[in-house]
Amino acid sequence: MNCEKYQDLLSDFVDGSLPQTDQDSIETHLSVCGDCAEARNDLEAIVGFCREHRGEYDPVPNERALWLRISNTIESELSAPSPASIPPGAGWWFRLMNRSWELSFPQLAAAVTAIIIVVSVVTTVGLRRFSFSGAGSGVQTSGAPLALNGSSVQDRFRQQQQVVAYWNQRVELNKARWNPQMRETFDRNMSVIDAAVNDSMSRLTQNPHDEVSEEILNAALNDKVELLKEFADL
Amino acid sequence: MNIHPLAKAYRMRTSAILAFLLTLGVPAGASAQQKVSRHFPAGKTVRLELKNLSGTITVETWAREEIKITATMEAPTARFNPRQTDVGLVIDVVSDNRGRNDVGDINFKVQVPARSSVDLETRRGQITVSNIQGDLVRAHISTEGNIELSGINAARVFASNTIGDIYFDGEFASGGTYEFKSGRGVITLRIPANCGFRLVATAPAEKISMGQFWHKGMRLLGDGRKITGDVGDGRASVTVTNYQGNINFLRR
Repeated sequence: MNCEKYQDLLSDFVDGSLPQTDQDSIETHLSVCGDCAEARNDLEAIVGFCREHRGEYDPVPNERALWLRISNTIESELSAPSPASIPPGAGWWFRLMNRSWELSFPQLAAAVTAIIIVVSVVTTVGLRRFSFSGAGSGVQTSGAPLALNGSSVQDRFRQQQQVVAYWNQRVELNKARWNPQMRETFDRNMSVIDAAVNDSMSRLTQNPHDEVSEEILNAALNDKVELLKEFADL
Repeated sequence: MNIHPLAKAYRMRTSAILAFLLTLGVPAGASAQQKVSRHFPAGKTVRLELKNLSGTITVETWAREEIKITATMEAPTARFNPRQTDVGLVIDVVSDNRGRNDVGDINFKVQVPARSSVDLETRRGQITVSNIQGDLVRAHISTEGNIELSGINAARVFASNTIGDIYFDGEFASGGTYEFKSGRGVITLRIPANCGFRLVATAPAEKISMGQFWHKGMRLLGDGRKITGDVGDGRASVTVTNYQGNINFLRR
């Protein structure tokens, strides 16, 4: 028997209503277990106090009704949030975060669907902003001018540079495996495209409305990504 | 002149060794390059798709209704497995050699019926196509190599490379689409005087020379770095882009 079992029997032990074998067993345990002995002392003090003051209080007229009221009060406090927990002047965020949410299955399904749609739309828009693809023909031609969609040339350039950086990273991972000839070929061709990018950027710095440079920049960045993609898998 | 018997024996032995080495050396050199030829039946109109890793691609026409592929492979480990489809033939050297490291150059010579469409790609190496009269001619070199398209009469022509010249000698069909793009090289288009096309030509670093196709109705944009306008009836669409090279129009 462990301490929990002994403490369950303590009340009967204090009353002396246990069989002699159990009484002896608990006595032995109490002599060696400080925690249980302390629990026994507390219980004896309570029982002693009650015995000493017996008859000083009037009995409750309807004891069962009283216990039911107590039980109901405890249950209602457990299930409903305490009005005291939300202060009257609390903001909407505080109320939102302290509110208990219970959703039916259709409500839950609708919420999940809405989240999926929003994420899909955001992803599609994001991908479209990154892609500068041509007309789907054999040769990639220049796409829309960079200043379209309300973003500046620099913004678009920065976005495209992120895509370039990603593919560049993948190329760098594989580059060590290439033979020297392939490395030279890649570097030589990349330098041609980089020259076109840099030339366009420098012209656009002088004249931000130079449409020809915008087109060339757009096309050259596309070509750069295409070349990086091709070499990233080698 | 008297030759000492020992010297004679030495000379004979040296000759024998040289002859032996030559006997070994010639086949060894020959076997380093593997040459394979294969024939495939084809109709009058056929589509050839060829995706090479590195090496030249030469496409010619002939009067037979069949395709002949001749491949010269630099590395003995290189493989190519032509796959016949309903419309023609597909050769994908990239897929066929995935996982093999140094495949080396594979030089293709392909003979097809004149009314064929050809879609050619390589990472490096020259592409030469002549006398194709089909629907499509596409030549794409992702890095460096010249593209030479001559005697072409196709509704759609696409040619692009990063470093190398592009030469087109053919006709622009009414309603056709023609796109030429190079990173660094010279793009030369030699066409008949009566060709009608709508032109968008961009050469930001060098010159666009329209030759006899220039007229006052054409627009010069960005200090002459871009030229747009119609030539003749303007029924074909022609787009030419060259980052660091000239664009030349020549009359046939």
